[in-house]
Amino acid sequence: MKKSTIFLSVLFLLVVSMAFAAEPVKIGFISVLSGPLAPIGKSEENAAVMAVEEFGSVLGQKVQLFQKDHQYNPGLANERAKELYEKDKVDMIVAVSNSAAALAVSDQAARHKKIFISTSAGTTDLIAKNRYTFKYNYNDYMLATTVGRWGAQNLGKKWYTITSDYAWGHDLLKHFTAALKEEGGIHVGNDMVPVGTSDYSPYILKAAKANPDVLVLLNVGKDAANSTKAAVEYGLKKKVKIVHALLFELDIKGSGIETFQDDYVAASWNWQSKNPGAREFADRYYKKHGDRPTFMAAAVYSAVWQYLDVVKKLGTTDTEKVIKGLEGHKFVDMFANPGYIRPEDHLQVGQAYLLKVKKPDQVKEKEDFFEIVGTLPAEKAHPPVGFFGRKLQ
Amino acid sequence: MDIQFLSAQLFNGLMLGSFYILLSLGLSIIFGMLGVVNFAHGALYMLGAYAGYTVCYIFGQNFWLALIIGPLAVGIIGMVLESTLIRRLYSVPHFYNLLLTFGIMLAVEELIRMIFTPIGKPFDTPPALVGSLDLGFIVFPKYRMFIIFVTAICSGIIALFIAKTKLGAIVRAGTDDSEMTSALGINISRVFTLVFGLGAALAGLAGVLAAPVQNVIPDMGSNILVETFVVVIIGGMGSILGSILGGLIVGELITLGVVFWPPVANVVIFVFMAVILLMRPRGLFGRAKFFE
Repeated sequence: MKKSTIFLSVLFLLVVSMAFAAEPVKIGFISVLSGPLAPIGKSEENAAVMAVEEFGSVLGQKVQLFQKDHQYNPGLANERAKELYEKDKVDMIVAVSNSAAALAVSDQAARHKKIFISTSAGTTDLIAKNRYTFKYNYNDYMLATTVGRWGAQNLGKKWYTITSDYAWGHDLLKHFTAALKEEGGIHVGNDMVPVGTSDYSPYILKAAKANPDVLVLLNVGKDAANSTKAAVEYGLKKKVKIVHALLFELDIKGSGIETFQDDYVAASWNWQSKNPGAREFADRYYKKHGDRPTFMAAAVYSAVWQYLDVVKKLGTTDTEKVIKGLEGHKFVDMFANPGYIRPEDHLQVGQAYLLKVKKPDQVKEKEDFFEIVGTLPAEKAHPPVGFFGRKLQ
Repeated sequence: MDIQFLSAQLFNGLMLGSFYILLSLGLSIIFGMLGVVNFAHGALYMLGAYAGYTVCYIFGQNFWLALIIGPLAVGIIGMVLESTLIRRLYSVPHFYNLLLTFGIMLAVEELIRMIFTPIGKPFDTPPALVGSLDLGFIVFPKYRMFIIFVTAICSGIIALFIAKTKLGAIVRAGTDDSEMTSALGINISRVFTLVFGLGAALAGLAGVLAAPVQNVIPDMGSNILVETFVVVIIGGMGSILGSILGGLIVGELITLGVVFWPPVANVVIFVFMAVILLMRPRGLFGRAKFFE
């Protein structure tokens, strides 16, 4: 064999092995893509796809996205996460609605020593859970505290709560009453209501009897709709202001804006926000999918983008290095202005919004349902470092 | 606790009971006559709400038209289901039809999800019934009064129909012994279809009535199904009077539970059911040797 042939084949081998070495960045996405909650999961999926497409290539290659459906089921989420980390060899998993599901994925992340950015579950147990988990977007403390603090200052002093009777509701109630007390509000009564109650009228009558200034509905989805409908029917809405813990564009579309008009809700984002590129993002999304992105979708977009940004800067997907890169990461994008990932507990913090549902005749564009009536700075809205008594490990 | 508050709550219980009455009437008649435990009943209720929504969508929010067409449409769907699917399983043990109707429920829910998306549909209270009625001792929303009123009339008509008409007599006879009835020269299979259609139409009516006060969503039927079965068990399988009384009891129990002891509001009806079953294993008005 000639020397030059040997040289050429060695060179060829080198090139090939280098090409294999430069693996593309792989991102796993888990959310609910079938069943009643599919519209929210789909909006997150759309946003993840958009983020990967619009960010472009990283480490010289196109980013790969693996989408999985967990059907809102923690067991399935656990399986999907395992598959993604082991079989598809993803570097990071994003989204995952349902708190129990997100906690399971977080455990898988720690087991595989890979990153998990939780955008879609609210439980505060994800904060400082392990060093591979980052809590992005909203959390239950932030929703309840924003409503309590801003509301007590602006909406009235006497508050009545109707709470969904499961871990999420109890958690919200705890943080809400603490915030309310701190701002000098009075909690005049509470009812724990089973999830899926269709007739809320007995609870509404009880609330009316307590004569509050504000009624807080610590529930979500059809429970939010059913309780609000009963409040409208009994004329309670004429006397008191109604505040929701969570209210999506989808809920408003589902029950009609007449039901929810003039209600308040906390959120981590809205497409009407003045963040750079927020409106443009919402317009691009609208053009592609025919509706407006939810704050869940915006958070997924931002999380994917910021992760890729860090990877690009570091030039590697190495878990340890990326964790270091994400810790203390400060950014300004369409989602947060500014956003900051706390190194102490991996909580992404940003300002919180108080939204008010518009009246039907104020809606000028499609899904133009909310107006931003107030904001709360990040340090007021989010739990202080060490609040839950956990340290990263 | 003042009288006004309590009586408003009692009326609430009455309204909730109204839905249970309409649903369990149909469930009970179908079980009594056909021996079918109709798990698709919740789906038929949901179909009623969606039929109402569709009528309102096409004919410009005409609730009254929806109130007529909705139940009719669901009744026809029920008859088609009976004559194409359910009929085929009369000769085999009960639980085959139980599986079939359970499957129908899942399929119908998924179909509605595909057509109307999983998001709910808005449904307004008819303008004529918006607002409250002041009766002196109580201020109550007009629309809720209307629901109670319609249910009272419907259950009266059904009770009269069963007790006084010839067809009602055939239904009663068929309930007791369908083979003997058909031996007497009565086309029992046509009566079966009719009875299933009637039960379905009642569920459809409940669906249209519920649309303005509840969420019109694909799984609204499976949510209410459990309580409806409790009503039928308390009242006694196959008994009209049992359904009416059972519906009222369950509606009031749930509502009063909320007023006096909220944490157990959801358990109260099951405890009550257990007590009834201990004292009267066939329910309040159940008859001996009936599908046993």
